[in-house]
Amino acid sequence: MIVKTQELTRKYRLGPSVIVAVNKVNLEIKEATFVSITGPSGSGKTTLLNLIGLSDRPTSGKVFFMNEDTSLLSDRERREIRFRNIGFVFQTFNLLPTLTALENVELPMALAKISIKPQREKAIQLLETVGLTGRLQHRPKELSTGEMQRAAIARALANDPFLILADEPTGELDSETGCEITKLLLNLCRKHKTTIVVATHDERVANASDVKYSMRDGRILRDVGL
Amino acid sequence: MFGVCLATVFIVAIGATTTNYTAVIREMNIFSGNVVVVAEGSMVVQAFPVVGGNLPLSVVEKVQQVNGVEAAVPMLVRFNYQVKAVIQLVPTNITIGIPHGNWSVLVGHTPLKPGGNWPSADSDKNEAIIGPSLAQQYDLSAGSKVNMKNTNLTVVGILDTGSAILSRAIILPLKLAQNIYYGHAMWINMVVAQPEEEAMQQQIATKIEEEIDGVEALTTRERNEIIEPLLQEVETWTLGLSSVLYLLSMILVTTVAMMNVSERRRDFATLDAIGTPKSTIVRIVFTETILIGFLGGLAGIFLGSIAAMLIASFYTNIPLSMFSFELNVASPLFVVKILASTVAVSCVAGIIPAITASKSNISEVLRSEY
Repeated sequence: MIVKTQELTRKYRLGPSVIVAVNKVNLEIKEATFVSITGPSGSGKTTLLNLIGLSDRPTSGKVFFMNEDTSLLSDRERREIRFRNIGFVFQTFNLLPTLTALENVELPMALAKISIKPQREKAIQLLETVGLTGRLQHRPKELSTGEMQRAAIARALANDPFLILADEPTGELDSETGCEITKLLLNLCRKHKTTIVVATHDERVANASDVKYSMRDGRILRDVGL
Repeated sequence: MFGVCLATVFIVAIGATTTNYTAVIREMNIFSGNVVVVAEGSMVVQAFPVVGGNLPLSVVEKVQQVNGVEAAVPMLVRFNYQVKAVIQLVPTNITIGIPHGNWSVLVGHTPLKPGGNWPSADSDKNEAIIGPSLAQQYDLSAGSKVNMKNTNLTVVGILDTGSAILSRAIILPLKLAQNIYYGHAMWINMVVAQPEEEAMQQQIATKIEEEIDGVEALTTRERNEIIEPLLQEVETWTLGLSSVLYLLSMILVTTVAMMNVSERRRDFATLDAIGTPKSTIVRIVFTETILIGFLGGLAGIFLGSIAAMLIASFYTNIPLSMFSFELNVASPLFVVKILASTVAVSCVAGIIPAITASKSNISEVLRSEY
């Protein structure tokens, strides 16, 4: 089990009211599976991904990452787990605009203090994997949305994570490009045995997944094993 | 960066100008160890009477007779504030008449540039020596002819000195100076009394004032006491003004850096999401603010130095073209200090933006967007 949540709850205070974004969610994600989480906007998908990705702390409940209770960890330790084991793909790509595609992919490796030559070789190889061979020196604004998402996926893979969390990865893409990105993620899951959790509105992505969760009002409604 | 640059321009321009001004005034105390005798009520700036009455030449003999005085050297000193009918705020040159053979009392061991001679004993020859700054400005050398108050003078030597006062001085035999300014050799405006022993200064000054009517005798300490509070006040104001400007530039850098961090909130949050240590994010912001300070400071120093030269040129009537590395208004040490201060201010200004950036969290950024 790569991730397991136990009565996971996240509440926000919004003025006088309290919003329960994630409500007592119990979830198990096995290694090398492609998991989708669907649901309407505001159902808590992004919050759940942030909790699983250790970017946010739950109000109550627990997240176990590779059987380790993360609620007992310090921010620095959680950051370290995030850095070594988790890759993020965002709906709006979040590439650093001043860096080229190659540099964006190199960034996590540079932070891991990998020396320049292997870092560059691996970044080039990752960009090849996602089909961006000819766009290495292009900055994000010089790339199409599909290319930006590919670069973001390559960046997420840089430190060989066990888990990739993708928040609406096809949300900004046209239908055809969305299909390509879905295939790419699925391919990564199958070939590299990387666990992929996708929050999405896109039924095609959901249909491609091994496990499909649906969320509403912060609760998991069902899961369908394929 | 523009704000930092502008603040630095003012700091450099004001700082360099006042630093030079106070340094020149301090340098004027060239009769250290001697008693300066002037007419009562004269305004003395360091060694020289800037404003005040004249003394009859007979005073010299009276000073000489005071017990403990080894030598009494009369002088006629004139600060010239006017060039081509335009009155300057700062004197453009100083004319000093001193008896032949007593040059060292005024210039110490300062030599003449090669090819020069000291004026001859014959004051009818109308010979003068001048400072290097004047020589350069008016392209004069030994043998050049100049006209001063309708008197033709021959420059016989150029002083080889870096002293601001001496470099703008025209030094003449006393009688010649008296003839130029008064038409006769009756008046002087100061006497330098050299004590037999330096420790006797105060005693001699007291005796001179007791024994000779209408004079004031000032020791080195007393002369310092007249000007030092004024100089310190100028320096305090300069420091205060600089501090305010530094504070303003710090606020500017903080504001710009905060706006920058706010605009790039998503970038910092992304860095946080991929596990970038907070210290790295802090370092990124610090590097940026330090760069703002460094580049703004450099530009400010460059423009400020030009501004300081313009101010100095305006007030001294020294052509701008003469200001260079040899005659620089902002010294290298001053420049280094300003640059270091600007960078330090930028460092401090970067603290709040750096902390803000390091607190960027992807879940909050995404929550605010979706």
